[in-house]
Amino acid sequence: MVHIDNLAPGMVLSRNVCDRSGRLLLPSGAELTDKHFSIFRMWGVLEVEIVGETIAEDPEAPPSPSTEIDPELLAEARAEVERLFVYNDPDHPAIKELMRICTERRATRAA
Amino acid sequence: MLRKPQLSVEHMVEDVSTIHSLPLFYSQLSEAIDHPRSSIGDIAKIISEDQGLTARILKLANSPLFGYFSKIDTITQAVTIIGVLQVRDLALALSVMDVFKGIPEDLVNMEQFWKHSIATGLAARTLATSQREANLERFFVAGILHDVGRLVMYVRVPEICLELLEECRSSGMILHCAERERFGFDHADVGGALLKRWKIPPRVAEPVGTHHNCSKADQYPREASILHFADIIAHAMQIGNSGEIFVPQLDHAVWERLQISCYFLPTLIKQVDTTYEQTVSVLFGGEDGAR
Repeated sequence: MVHIDNLAPGMVLSRNVCDRSGRLLLPSGAELTDKHFSIFRMWGVLEVEIVGETIAEDPEAPPSPSTEIDPELLAEARAEVERLFVYNDPDHPAIKELMRICTERRATRAA
Repeated sequence: MLRKPQLSVEHMVEDVSTIHSLPLFYSQLSEAIDHPRSSIGDIAKIISEDQGLTARILKLANSPLFGYFSKIDTITQAVTIIGVLQVRDLALALSVMDVFKGIPEDLVNMEQFWKHSIATGLAARTLATSQREANLERFFVAGILHDVGRLVMYVRVPEICLELLEECRSSGMILHCAERERFGFDHADVGGALLKRWKIPPRVAEPVGTHHNCSKADQYPREASILHFADIIAHAMQIGNSGEIFVPQLDHAVWERLQISCYFLPTLIKQVDTTYEQTVSVLFGGEDGAR
């Protein structure tokens, strides 16, 4: 997923872009122009998938941290986040994702 | 454990409304807004009488949170550009922040308390944007006020609150459940009752009152759901603190109702992170506060 702020004209979509209600805005394979960016913003699309960007092989698996984080810091962060979330179901998709983001965020900040 | 006889939600907020009445100006403001013959000028005049508030509203309006290109330098402009209701909601959030002062530090660090509240407000506002809701400031204000009931409890029954805080810290219990166990209600109920007493519109009062118990929200379930999840985000990000040391339990029905994609969560958190520092420095007026 590439954030809209990091898109440049000429990039090619690797997946359909839909708005929140699922309406197709731009099909996979389309080449992006400046006009598309304002359309995305207008419909609340913040991220799109781009050809050539590293995409996690398994969509279920969380993408690996983009920058190298000291494994020790990461382990510490994970333990702290697990403690924080003790009242939540770690297998719930939203909680799982939140825990992943928070662990990474915490470890990055500790570094 | 000794049980206090007959502490009710109503009892909790009874005297608070007189000790900590919402500044007169907010009721004047609402009255002016509701009056069919008020002009934007009339409304701007009421706000402009409070210089501190005026300065903070203008700073907020010019902050990246709003993203307007032209500089907004009068309240009239702010009202015209941002909207009457939005400015009123911002004024409400800011004036409630001024109301509670002098609560002992061992109960709550007010700066940390408002930081948690601001993070919740920003998360709620961002969530509402993604849900294409109108008038985003009501979400921001609901976030800022969501734990206000806890402040009332700290004022009314400080000893019991201190006991509960210590109990939770040693036993690892979640605070809002401990409150419910002890009193039969929690800080959300108290906050909802206080806002009702202050005649804050139900679109803010109800979500505040039900943010730990969204199934009870019958008028504004979407607002309550957004607030519930925003609170979880703020806890997860560990910004500020209002007494609770754990991430409250996500109500799975709320998550279903919101229909948010997990892909949106990184963006959401990034958005809160980028707007947070700026918003804190605007709201805490000048002093940039401890990080």
